[in-house]
Amino acid sequence: MSATQPTTSGLSERKQARRENWRLIVRRPAFIVGVAIVLFWVICALFPDFIAPHHPLDYRTGKHLPPGWGHLFGTDSTGRDVLSRVVAGARDVLRIAPAAAILGVFFGVILGLLQGYLGGWVDLLASRIVEAFLSLPVVLVGLLAITTLGRSNVVVIGVVAVLFTPIVARTVRAAVLAERELDYVTSAKLRGESKAFIMFREILPNVSGPIIVELTVRMGYAVFTVATLSFLGAGPPPPSPDWGVQVSDTYNNLIADFWWPTFFPAMAIASLVIAVSLIADSVQSVLEAS
Amino acid sequence: MSKNAPTTLGSNPTKLQPALSVEDLEVVYTVRGVDRAVLRGVSFSVAPGEAYGLVGESGCGKSTTAYAALRYLPSNGKIVGGHVRVGGRDLTEMTDDELQQFRAHEASMVYQDPSQALNPTLRVGKQIIESFTLLGHDNATAATMAVEALKKVRIADPTRVMDRYPFQLSGGMQQRVVIAMALACNPTLLVLDEPTTGLDATVEAEVLDLVRVLRQESDAAVLLIAHNLGIIRGLCDRVGVMYAGRIVEEGPSAQVFDDPRHPYTVGLLRSLPRHGVRKTERALATIPGILPLIGSDLPTCVYVDRCPIATDLCRTTMPPVVPVGNKGDRFTLCHHPDQIAAIEEPAVSVNISVLAPSDENPGVLELSHVSKTFKQRNLSIPALVDVELDLAVGETLGIVGESGSGKSTLAKAILGIEAADSGGSVSLDGRVVMASTVGRTADDKRSMQMIFQNPDSALNRSWSVRHILTRSVEKLTNIKGDAANQRVEQLAEHLRLTPRHLDLKPRQLSGGLKQRVAIARAFAGDPRIVVCDEPTSALDVSVQAAILNLLADLQTEQKTSYVFITHDMGVVRYLADRIAVMYLGRIQEIGPTDDVFNGPNHPYTEALLSAIPSVDGEIVTRIRLEGEIPSPANPPSGCVFHPRCPRVIPGVCEVTEPPLREVSPGHAMRCHIPVAELIELQRKPSK
Repeated sequence: MSATQPTTSGLSERKQARRENWRLIVRRPAFIVGVAIVLFWVICALFPDFIAPHHPLDYRTGKHLPPGWGHLFGTDSTGRDVLSRVVAGARDVLRIAPAAAILGVFFGVILGLLQGYLGGWVDLLASRIVEAFLSLPVVLVGLLAITTLGRSNVVVIGVVAVLFTPIVARTVRAAVLAERELDYVTSAKLRGESKAFIMFREILPNVSGPIIVELTVRMGYAVFTVATLSFLGAGPPPPSPDWGVQVSDTYNNLIADFWWPTFFPAMAIASLVIAVSLIADSVQSVLEAS
Repeated sequence: MSKNAPTTLGSNPTKLQPALSVEDLEVVYTVRGVDRAVLRGVSFSVAPGEAYGLVGESGCGKSTTAYAALRYLPSNGKIVGGHVRVGGRDLTEMTDDELQQFRAHEASMVYQDPSQALNPTLRVGKQIIESFTLLGHDNATAATMAVEALKKVRIADPTRVMDRYPFQLSGGMQQRVVIAMALACNPTLLVLDEPTTGLDATVEAEVLDLVRVLRQESDAAVLLIAHNLGIIRGLCDRVGVMYAGRIVEEGPSAQVFDDPRHPYTVGLLRSLPRHGVRKTERALATIPGILPLIGSDLPTCVYVDRCPIATDLCRTTMPPVVPVGNKGDRFTLCHHPDQIAAIEEPAVSVNISVLAPSDENPGVLELSHVSKTFKQRNLSIPALVDVELDLAVGETLGIVGESGSGKSTLAKAILGIEAADSGGSVSLDGRVVMASTVGRTADDKRSMQMIFQNPDSALNRSWSVRHILTRSVEKLTNIKGDAANQRVEQLAEHLRLTPRHLDLKPRQLSGGLKQRVAIARAFAGDPRIVVCDEPTSALDVSVQAAILNLLADLQTEQKTSYVFITHDMGVVRYLADRIAVMYLGRIQEIGPTDDVFNGPNHPYTEALLSAIPSVDGEIVTRIRLEGEIPSPANPPSGCVFHPRCPRVIPGVCEVTEPPLREVSPGHAMRCHIPVAELIELQRKPSK
């Protein structure tokens, strides 16, 4: 022990720190629960046939059955098995939500870096546009997009990304503002680096912590927003088993006490949002503590 | 207070019951789920009215000891062994309520940063009054007591100060207020944790004077933590030297500092530039190796890995407590205290006299009428006013002055980080360069580089050392590919970084190694001029010594010129050939180092020099400054220093600004007082 070189002990200490951080995340019950739920939905999305007892579009039962042994979640008004539809619906949301979140974070990071580092009129102008965007209700933007662009998954991804960009930009901007005051930025200027190099090569790696946190948090919101938009009709058209579509398809029958075709897809949305939030919280608290 | 005193002590009046007694204290911090030992059995006691100092490098456990003395550890820290007794009561056994009562009535703490100890949204008066009402006084009594308390800490106009918010007070004033609040409960124990570290030298001297006076007025036991050995020597009766969570040597401060008996104390003291030693005379001693990480397993002597006189005995057996002298007031934790004298002084490393600038040495940098005015809304703030400077090849120019004097702005103006106002010029090798870095040629950029104060901020923490150095080599020298790699390796070797260090990230390196990387980066393109902005002030003294030696060596080999900004007069005396003293953006005095240290001086320089807390206990002429640096937006008329000058000539100084007048060859100052008179006023008292 006493003979170890400072450098080697430094190296192993760093590895150990990372391992200990990981262990701290993994040890959190919230994280385990979150990962378990997300994993369940991922498996549903990948292998729906193994889990779902029926095909999601199979309406051969023909009856509107309440939950029971034959159909655990019941069947909907056209006789399709709700459980099978919920399982199959995971695929759409698990493709769209991460794509939208990643795209939104990508543009948000670029915008935030430009705002934070360049400052001045760039920041002023972008900030005003961002504020204008943030004041628009999600529903309004969604409806506008459907009427002008039509309904497709691409439109949903685009709308969510556009809505998330300014939010992410604001977080990144704040981190960059602190970072650009550090002396390594001065040093880069002293050896004549370009602004783009300083922003993307020097500063960007150092604000990755908040970006990772932002990405996990946005994932959760993306699930929620994607479901909202497909409920409004921006997503794939019925008879798609998309959760949002299912809810919007069936909620009219709630009044007639046919609660199950609406309740189970809604619960699916909630469970995924909560699961992603649990993961995001764990990552955030451990990253911020270390 | 002595209600629990054991009767046996009564027979021995010299052995009063200690105000604070720490016995075999062990503290651990839980870091990432694992308990790591920080204090490994610390024992000491402080008598009522006594001041006890703790010294050691950062990470030794000084502050942890201070916090543990009030059982005030951070949430991940816990006491796992030993006892802390204040006035005979054991803190480790108190309930939370008792502890709260104890902290309110019997102990106080003063922290490093006074601005964080005060609530920024409440008037100062309200906060002081509160510290009395908490003790059970009614509002009216508390208000009177608050005024008294402020008078006690030598605040001349208490009612006016009480009406202000903390941000309206200077750092020195704030710290006085904090001390007044700390003394409110007339504490048995007063803990001061680096109370003057954030303050300027002249303010620090003021606060230390105050603490010295207050000690005589109260019989509180004082526990002082400071990394500056001079402060401990000037203020403390006894000192404990800490290393890796143990007190390795203890005794009366003067004795410990003049005649150290533990190898660590010896190393610590020898790494300081003392007794006016210059780089031309000898290199500074360093302590090889690094402090063991907290939580390391240290079964034998804690210092064994870095000790020059360690033997097999030291590696196998815990050293005993060896008394020093026969008075029973000193001990050292060492197997071989008799071998201390055998520790060698470092040899004269290089003949640095070649560096002394001479007439043949051409100038490399010239500043002519350089000013910098910042615009803030409608206000123009002159941060730098008409600065004239030159720098010879291979010369070191020290820049000293308090914060707000324009030192850093000067550095930025030279480098073009802040473009100087038009009208002045910065010339490199006799050729005027553009004011802003962006406009300068690649060769100009290569020629002028900078070493920053804080290596944590100066190095990109997500880049490896190799990446950092390669990028600088490629960008500054235009060498690419394999040739660049080779140069990086040469550079690293030159700065005594091993190839292994190259693949690490900055945070895996110690502070000293990080600063070496920062220096290597500055030297990547063989610069002509390197601006050093307090390059050692964030480092421990033993590391500081290594960095200063390195800078001197590099300068000898490469004939680099340094502009060396610092507030540490010992460091500037060691390294600089010439010194410029700045105040409010103006150069007040400039001259060869010996002339500046021997006088005659500008009164401001005189004040700076008398503010140095000396570890050698030397007598210095003491003059003190009143007030604080005025706002540069609204500088005083005439000589800008006149409102604070103890030697002001009424009717002259506030009317005209004195010119920079030469008093001896190369030594000039801005002062109206005739030289002969200054010499007479500043005559040093004979020892």
